[in-house]
Amino acid sequence: MSIRFEAVQKSFGPKHILDGISFEAAPGEILFILGKSGMGKSVTLKHIVGMLKPDSGRVWVEDLSVGDQDAQGLVQVRTLCGMVFQHPALLDSLTIFENIAFGLRRLARLNEAEIDDRVRETLALVHLPESVLQQYPIELSYGMQKRASLARTLAPKPKYLLFDEPTTGLDPVSTQTINQLIFELSRKLKVTSLVVSHDMQCALKIADRILVLDSGKILSLADVKTTVKSKEPLIRSFIEETLNLLAPEERKKLEL
Amino acid sequence: MSAFFFELGRFSLFFREIWHTLLNTKHNLRPIIAQTSEVTIRSLSTVVFSGFFVGGILVVQFNAVLAQYDAQIFLGGLNTSALIREVGPLIISFLLAGKVGAFTAAELGTMRVTEQIDAIECLGTNPIQYLILPRFFGIVLASMILLSTGLLVSVIGSMGFATALCGLNPLQFAQSIPRFTDITTLLSGFLRAAIYGVIVAGVCCYQGYTATGGAKGVGRAVTRAAIYTNLYIVIANYITGLWIHLLLGESS
Repeated sequence: MSIRFEAVQKSFGPKHILDGISFEAAPGEILFILGKSGMGKSVTLKHIVGMLKPDSGRVWVEDLSVGDQDAQGLVQVRTLCGMVFQHPALLDSLTIFENIAFGLRRLARLNEAEIDDRVRETLALVHLPESVLQQYPIELSYGMQKRASLARTLAPKPKYLLFDEPTTGLDPVSTQTINQLIFELSRKLKVTSLVVSHDMQCALKIADRILVLDSGKILSLADVKTTVKSKEPLIRSFIEETLNLLAPEERKKLEL
Repeated sequence: MSAFFFELGRFSLFFREIWHTLLNTKHNLRPIIAQTSEVTIRSLSTVVFSGFFVGGILVVQFNAVLAQYDAQIFLGGLNTSALIREVGPLIISFLLAGKVGAFTAAELGTMRVTEQIDAIECLGTNPIQYLILPRFFGIVLASMILLSTGLLVSVIGSMGFATALCGLNPLQFAQSIPRFTDITTLLSGFLRAAIYGVIVAGVCCYQGYTATGGAKGVGRAVTRAAIYTNLYIVIANYITGLWIHLLLGESS
């Protein structure tokens, strides 16, 4: 049991964003969701955490039909699924410690000492020093804020990680760090990760499978090697330039 | 026109959500008290400063007219009655709209466009309970506290200006106050302040909470919050004037 979409349709006014998409994320995999802007990638993720409800169809997180959950049921869904946003989305008025503890206080039944331990443990996972705990988000660099945001999502120990364009606005070094973290954490914590991104190079390096959305439909859902060899013009336009940027050993790994 | 009714419908749903959350959730008192004191402290100096001079301006204007009829003994009563019923609540709500309302709309709008509100929701917290309830009731309660303070200061200011510029002593000024003001005058002032407080809080929280489109979107939300708040206060002033006249039999 994992995350499953069954014929999900979603429109905003006259615009059809998702047009009956169905797919299932395999347990423990890193599934990249690619597509042009406005093709429903972020909308897909928001359906999983119940921030949007499908017009028709169902979204399942394990045995929970997300659209049918009441407020209490949604808390259960959100305990299972952690979401990392495009922005760091840290609460400005709280310290980094309070930000990371925020989800723990609501989603996990822990006492203060356990919360303190969990915050420090999670901070180490994203390679941030403990000195940042008493700082406010504004005092950290953007890349560090992103990592603190990732720590906040990881703290309640979700089984599914959802990343909405996690490297947007980052310099190449920080982008590399975040991508590496997504890979490391997914493998180390054995979580299923769904990553919405434009970063094709990263997708080719760390994804297990790639889902390509176009005009509300799934254009392709396949492993990386198959995706790279696809003849679909949209997919080719995504990967053509990226392939040239790959190192020879990475190209060899993809059997190119 | 349809856009107006669509927006009105969304605003009504937002308002319903606030009440629903208040009635169905616990532990709201502390954040509301904290927010009330924050708003009160943040706006107190402005209200005191403005209240003092508004009282002064009003007394000078009334004096100019009353002096022509040799009726300056009514200056204190007339001035205080106008301040409590009309000028005080209106000025204080405009000040609150400009200071606290715009701040709230900008703060919530920024939180919305930087996905902080989405994050709060994803971390198992109801954003209406966590962000909106304390701000909404904080502004409403603060408007009542600020009105009391503002009115007191403006009456003192009026008295000071009357003594300094109009040749009345404080006792003469105070003597006519009971002739023009009674409990209904106070009630009408506080009722108005509460209604205007609800307008400032509701409109500004709603505009900020529903902001979209990055920095420009936040700018639009703040502008809309300022325009709609002032517009609705003026409309509410007219309607409450009629209500109070009918309910309390007071000339509004």
